[in-house]
Amino acid sequence: MRLREETTLSGIEMAAILISTVIGVAILPFPLFAVRGAGTGAGMLTLMAIGITLIGLLSVIALGLRFPGQSIIQYGAQIIGRPAAAMLNALLIVFYIVLTASAAREFGTVVVTSVLKQTPIEATVIIMLLIAAISARKDLRTFANIHLFYTPIILMPVLLIVCLSFQNAEPLYLLPIFDHTPQILSSLLTITAMFQGFFIITLLIPHMRQQSKAWVSGLSGLGVAGALYLLIITSTVAVFGAEEVKELLYPTLELAKATNLPANIMERLDAAFISVWVTAVFTTLFSNYYFAVHALKQWLGTRDHRLFVFFLLPFLMLIAMLPENVLQMYEGIALIARGGFVLTVLCPVLLLAIAVIRGKRGAADAH
Amino acid sequence: MSNDKLQTSPNLNPEQLLARYAGESCPASLSQLLEIVRLIMGSSDDLVIRTFYIYGRYEAVMLYINSLVNQQITDQQLQSFMTLPEWLSGTDKLGPEALKQTLLNKTVHLSEITVVSRMGDLINMLLNGKTIVAVEGLGEAFKFGARKIEQRAIEQPQTEQVVQGAREGFIEQLHTNLSLLRYRLPTPSFRILICEVGEYTKTSVAICYMEGIADPKLVSEAENRIRAIRLDGVLDAGYIEQFIEDHHYSPFPQVMNTEKPDKAVANLLEGRIVILTDGSPFALIIPAVFGQFFQTTEDYATRFLQGSFVRMARVIALVFSLVFPSLYVAIISFNPELIPTEFAVAVAGGRAGVPFPSFVEVLIMEISMEVLREASIRLPQQVGGALSIVGVLVVGQSAVAAGFASPITVVVIALTTIGSFATPAYNAAFALRMLRFPLILIAGMLGVYGVVIGLILIANHLLTIKSFGMPYLSPAVPVHFRGWRDFLIRAPLWILKKKPSYRQSRRYEDKEEGTA
Repeated sequence: MRLREETTLSGIEMAAILISTVIGVAILPFPLFAVRGAGTGAGMLTLMAIGITLIGLLSVIALGLRFPGQSIIQYGAQIIGRPAAAMLNALLIVFYIVLTASAAREFGTVVVTSVLKQTPIEATVIIMLLIAAISARKDLRTFANIHLFYTPIILMPVLLIVCLSFQNAEPLYLLPIFDHTPQILSSLLTITAMFQGFFIITLLIPHMRQQSKAWVSGLSGLGVAGALYLLIITSTVAVFGAEEVKELLYPTLELAKATNLPANIMERLDAAFISVWVTAVFTTLFSNYYFAVHALKQWLGTRDHRLFVFFLLPFLMLIAMLPENVLQMYEGIALIARGGFVLTVLCPVLLLAIAVIRGKRGAADAH
Repeated sequence: MSNDKLQTSPNLNPEQLLARYAGESCPASLSQLLEIVRLIMGSSDDLVIRTFYIYGRYEAVMLYINSLVNQQITDQQLQSFMTLPEWLSGTDKLGPEALKQTLLNKTVHLSEITVVSRMGDLINMLLNGKTIVAVEGLGEAFKFGARKIEQRAIEQPQTEQVVQGAREGFIEQLHTNLSLLRYRLPTPSFRILICEVGEYTKTSVAICYMEGIADPKLVSEAENRIRAIRLDGVLDAGYIEQFIEDHHYSPFPQVMNTEKPDKAVANLLEGRIVILTDGSPFALIIPAVFGQFFQTTEDYATRFLQGSFVRMARVIALVFSLVFPSLYVAIISFNPELIPTEFAVAVAGGRAGVPFPSFVEVLIMEISMEVLREASIRLPQQVGGALSIVGVLVVGQSAVAAGFASPITVVVIALTTIGSFATPAYNAAFALRMLRFPLILIAGMLGVYGVVIGLILIANHLLTIKSFGMPYLSPAVPVHFRGWRDFLIRAPLWILKKKPSYRQSRRYEDKEEGTA
């Protein structure tokens, strides 16, 4: 006999998973995309992206509560029938595999361009994927533990850097709040893509101790992560000005470079920031990987998710290595962002609408 | 007694012989009984077989092992067996059963005397230091305890020194150790369960717990794991620890050990289980989570501000001992721009004559520190002083003067080493000391990024492992806010009141309160 406890997630764990999943690789370059798209209105653009994500999040939670004890992989068939659901599931799984690979690639690119200039990109990508793979073999309890543990570790230093950077801020740079630029729609999708990680909640709602708390956890998780993104974009624009940000590849990293701790403990904070960012990337990769293997497990109806973990690894590595350069990579990421918008926002909204119209709902005592 | 009429059976070893006769009842005939005893025990010269007549008329034999027995007590008892009481008529002939009752109830002055009827019990009792008296025709034997084993005095434990608090330490004898616990816990809730472990040593292992506080599932799990141990000899508590821990390949200890009875009692009151092993002064405490390894009983004995302050200092020391050298390597060789300019100049100046890259330098110094530390533990105290002087001079002064290491490196290594000694639990400090080396290596390869990767791997491992069902990092993760009152800080005792930390966090799953 082993001492085992049944795995249930508390509300705080749920929120932590959302926060650390949503905060990911994108925090480094996203001010650039936002400013390119909306100029000084970058903050507003981010806010709009959060709003769009909110729609997706609320429909996923509503669906989760409508079909207790099931994830989107399982209740999809009930709403739109088996063949359509099978296609949706396959798309979701492929999407998550590509998402994981692209995040790993983006991470590798940043590390190779800004920290370890002589290390081959394959090395950094494979290390990160391996760590995520090893963790993805673990059970849900460990999954929750890891996210809960890292969330404050990610939040605190980023907040500290942002707060310290405000001493160099020039509020005038933030105006006008609404700037008119032509590309606002396409960059809105790119910014929305940063929040796609919220979708993991569909796997987790069935495991919540009190499912009704999903609303609070979901909203507070997205709220905290969104607030952090807003703070970063505001401080970057306030410190550098919109025109300057357009010239920087990784504006957030530059922000950390420009900031120094009081009392001269550290001359600049970019390396410290990189280490926090590595942690944030790890949690995001871990969540996406976890989603991919668990979605596969639920779809194929196997008992164990672990056999998929190392099976997926070579494919992830292959996909991560597909783009030949940074430009191709960001083109790919923009494509993924559009697909992600359809799969994680439009699909849940449609599914919810169909479920309501057809009057489908899960068995009340399924949990 | 002469043992020349020994029957030796060439085919069976003593253990097999014992197993063969274990279930048989004692033969009524004394000569048969002695024959079996001699067959099993062979020619051990400390086995004493003394034949005599009870009340001067009933033939009997006394068996004991003289190296285990208090001679005085056996002599006195021999007298009470032999002396014919005045009220017993000189001519009556008692039957075996009547004789047994007379002896047990009227003439033998012993509180602890019982009857054994199986040969296996008889031999085992004999080997455990009991004295056996067998009577012709009875088919049973009397057994009483007159055990005397040399033991050392109760001293202050060397591994856990305290400034304030109890100074008693456990010793090797199980019964003394149990009495040290029992006198602190005069309550019927304190329960002791004794198992025997070890094919040859038959070591008694006592599982101590508080009924009503400890989780019954935990108690039965501990018992199952201990009973499942198959080993020829158990010579120390460490043997038990290695069999009952959850993750054998983890560098982190999942069982805590202590030499202090007060610490054992404190843990019993928190619902943990204390396992005492005969022959070892170390008590094992399960389940053990990471937080416990930087806590001491002294934190509770002193005022809470003092206790909290010292505890936080230990946590910092712990973190230092793990990451300081690797961070140093990473910053010096990959990100020197992080350190303030004036200091960077000083560091560069110090490293001017050093031919190696910084991670080789740090590795060499770390390894020589480990060698010094190991040497100073094994040496007698008189030589130890000389060694530490040589160590300080060689490692500190001369290495720098010889251009072997930079002064900053020496400072870093010194802080790290001192930090690893500030952890009260030797085994936990050891885990972090071991992990320091891979961290230095990966820092030398990948810089700050490498250190972060290493730390993520360590943290993920810590977040995965459990000790007897307890997540290793609880109450930090999974969050249990009530447990935080006695984690990194030590809240005032009136807030802690009934020492809730472990009991509450055990039920973290089904308790909504305090979990947010």
